Amino acid sequence: MTFLYPLGLLGLIGIPILIIIYIIKNKYTEQTVTSTYLWTLSEKFLKRRIPISKLAGLISLILQILIIAALSLAIAHPVIVMPGAAHEYCFIFDISGSMNVEENGETRFEKGVGKIEEVINDSLGGSYYTLICVDENTAVVFERETDKKLAIEELNRVTPGYASADITDAVDVAKGYFTNNAGIKTYLITDKTYQNTNNVEVINVGSQVDNHALSDVNYVLNGEKLTVNGKVISYSGDKTLTLELYLDEREQLTASKTVSASGEFTPFTFEETVTVSNVNSVTVKIKEEDALALDNQATVFNLKNENSYKTLLIGDSTFFLEAAIVTVSNAQITKMTSAEYEQNPNVSGYGLYVFDGVVPKTLPVDGTVWFLNVQGSVPGSGFSFQGVVDPEYAIKLEKSTSTSSLVQKLTYGVEGSNFIVSQYVKYGLYRNFTQLYTYNRNNAMVFTGTSERGNREVVFAFDLHNSNHTISIDYVALLKNLLDFSFPTVVEKVSYECGENLEVNVLANSDSVKIISPSQKETYLDTSSVIGEYTLDEVGAYQIVMTVGGAEKVYNVYSVLPEAERTPVQTAERVEIVGEASGSGLNGIYDIVIFLFALLAVVFIADWGVYCYDKYQLR
Amino acid sequence: MSIKAINEEFLQQVESLQMLIKNNVAGLFGGNRKSKTFGSSCEFADYRDYVAGDDITKLDWNAYARFDKLYLKLYLDERQMHTRIYIDASRSMEYGKSKKAEQAIKIAATLAYLSVCEMDKVSVYVIREKSLEEVISGIVGKEAFISNIHKLNEIEFGGDSYISDAILPSKVGHGDGMSVIISDFLTDNDYERAIDHLANKKRHVFCTQILSREELNPLTRGKVHLFDSENINKTYRKHVDKEIAKAYKAALNYVTGKINDFCAARNADYLLASAEDSVFEIFFGKLVEMGVLK
Repeated sequence: MTFLYPLGLLGLIGIPILIIIYIIKNKYTEQTVTSTYLWTLSEKFLKRRIPISKLAGLISLILQILIIAALSLAIAHPVIVMPGAAHEYCFIFDISGSMNVEENGETRFEKGVGKIEEVINDSLGGSYYTLICVDENTAVVFERETDKKLAIEELNRVTPGYASADITDAVDVAKGYFTNNAGIKTYLITDKTYQNTNNVEVINVGSQVDNHALSDVNYVLNGEKLTVNGKVISYSGDKTLTLELYLDEREQLTASKTVSASGEFTPFTFEETVTVSNVNSVTVKIKEEDALALDNQATVFNLKNENSYKTLLIGDSTFFLEAAIVTVSNAQITKMTSAEYEQNPNVSGYGLYVFDGVVPKTLPVDGTVWFLNVQGSVPGSGFSFQGVVDPEYAIKLEKSTSTSSLVQKLTYGVEGSNFIVSQYVKYGLYRNFTQLYTYNRNNAMVFTGTSERGNREVVFAFDLHNSNHTISIDYVALLKNLLDFSFPTVVEKVSYECGENLEVNVLANSDSVKIISPSQKETYLDTSSVIGEYTLDEVGAYQIVMTVGGAEKVYNVYSVLPEAERTPVQTAERVEIVGEASGSGLNGIYDIVIFLFALLAVVFIADWGVYCYDKYQLR
Repeated sequence: MSIKAINEEFLQQVESLQMLIKNNVAGLFGGNRKSKTFGSSCEFADYRDYVAGDDITKLDWNAYARFDKLYLKLYLDERQMHTRIYIDASRSMEYGKSKKAEQAIKIAATLAYLSVCEMDKVSVYVIREKSLEEVISGIVGKEAFISNIHKLNEIEFGGDSYISDAILPSKVGHGDGMSVIISDFLTDNDYERAIDHLANKKRHVFCTQILSREELNPLTRGKVHLFDSENINKTYRKHVDKEIAKAYKAALNYVTGKINDFCAARNADYLLASAEDSVFEIFFGKLVEMGVLK
């Protein structure tokens, strides 16, 4: 036996002190009574006592000595050391989506937590515990923790994931611990069956349960005809399932149908006539409940709607521009004449402002700005008006030959060999702009950049009517590229598998980009980078809220449970730690302090009882 | 130290007590009671046959004329009783917070009053060491009672007392009433001889044992060294626990039972009273319970 805090034994000094106090205090109380006659006579009636009863007067002292001794020992924290009796434990905990399967009111994840707790509690003090959690990532939650309580607390903070688990990474991490200590006991807590488990003890918390799932849900809206396609599967044998269709996340059921599902993916189709001109989202649900609810619903959002923008066209003759923009983008166009703009120069709330032949009084606070044939200087725009040039002959513009990625992106699909302009505006550039077309290399004819406010800018130094561009095939391509530059597609797709990375194109003048998970967890992305990344770690609908110039734009994507996690029990890859395990253990520590405290409590109560017995005349 | 137990208030209580029990005295007191022997009072009792030697003045000549036989007229003898009250004036009766002395005086005064109301003669003595001190001597009537009873307040308690040694040499009378001994009887002294002596003298003996609450139900616990108030050399040193407390109760029962049995064997009355009991509780409670008062 050894003591963790030997100084605590100094408390034993209290014992002789207590005895001295007891001797000093232990005097007979002198008292004069009317007569001692009855007291003396009582001796004759006193029953013969057993010798041990003479110790009765010392019971309190004995108990108090025991209290001091127990307290001192408890403070000194005695432990019994048992060489080789303890072990190092490494738990690889599969927290993938399938661990959410509920059986008998308890999820596999909860069952796994219970199993780990059981091993920790049954292990001897002096053991080390390492917990590696695996879902789409591998994370070491705690490493070589010696405190059981802390280890269990940390374990209970772990929450189940929704993505697929890559056990290989976790096993590699566990191998590292095995290399350091070949006596380590490695456990894999999972619901899957593995082929080879050399040096790894698998605690399987899975069993065959009732589960069915949806897959590959998509839809097409053609006029008023809505076609929803998808697949359904029943992992636990043939069964008839009821599929329900909901539109735009409304609670009102649009349609339902029954399908016969089997162990293979069975396709289904809804064909409905809808009266709405647009559909924002389509949700399909399986009505029947099963052990894993996460894969019984799928929502598909309208990508087109997610990336639509409000556009303000300011000018008196914007026909070509309007037609082209509508053709190549989802922009919702609002038009304003120059006279109307004069009345309301501080207009805001648009994603794109197009000034066609109109000199803006001031730059808009939000949105991308296009300047076409603007014959005047605009403060903060980064360029200045130097005059209108009316050449004798039409001039031919030169396409940039720069190899920069931006130029390549903006001129993608643009041939640009025959771009003629009859009149242009000469600008002086005092900020960095990317020039797409020039004339005589000194005159920027089509260029892009950002304003002082951070708004993206696109400048055409000529009137489209004074060029052949609008009748060129390049016109549409260039316009599309510029619109993409102006309206970067915030989300490339709207359906993901849990565990996938969501890429968000951050608008140049975005104030903030917030991701709201299905559990309403909010995460802000870094707006300084062009693309913000976020790992989808929950199943359900995510919202991406982008604030631009005080206005919020909301985009929706849906994360489904990975297909691999829908199958409750599956045979997966090998889980093996190669090497010769050693049987050597660590020094086990058997902590007896709890018994001392229990003894202390019992003795204290006994002493209190004795005190009350004397004090309140119980004897 | 004297006890101021007798005061106006107490006397009023005694008076009311007397009125309440006026018709209920069942032979406890004498006074103008009729004796069991025939005497010479004016009250006719019975006839008997004349035998030679009888007082011929008691012959009923009318009966002789009718029956032609001599009958002697018998009259009840009527004597005045003498109640003698002995109060133990030892230190144990008065020590500390004990009210035994006060209770003893109150009981003595009450008995004395009841006696004078019955036209008995009353004497009150104090037992001090081995002798008697006469506090009230042969008073008769309420006026004498009122004028003498305050003397009980002047009784000094202290020292030891030897009941038998004090009573035996004294004049106790013969067949003329009741002798009352008021004491705590917490002594090895031979009080039994005194009771025997009084009983032999045809006296009705009434022993009143007064004990304090602490003596009846002691709360002393733990390590104690007890000193006797009457004799400093008498001590008791023990760790008083439940067993000893039980033994004490047994000793108390033994002592009170012994006195009770002894008195019963001699046709004497015995009363155990707490010093904290009121006079009403004693006379209407305990004495009624004992059958002395009905």
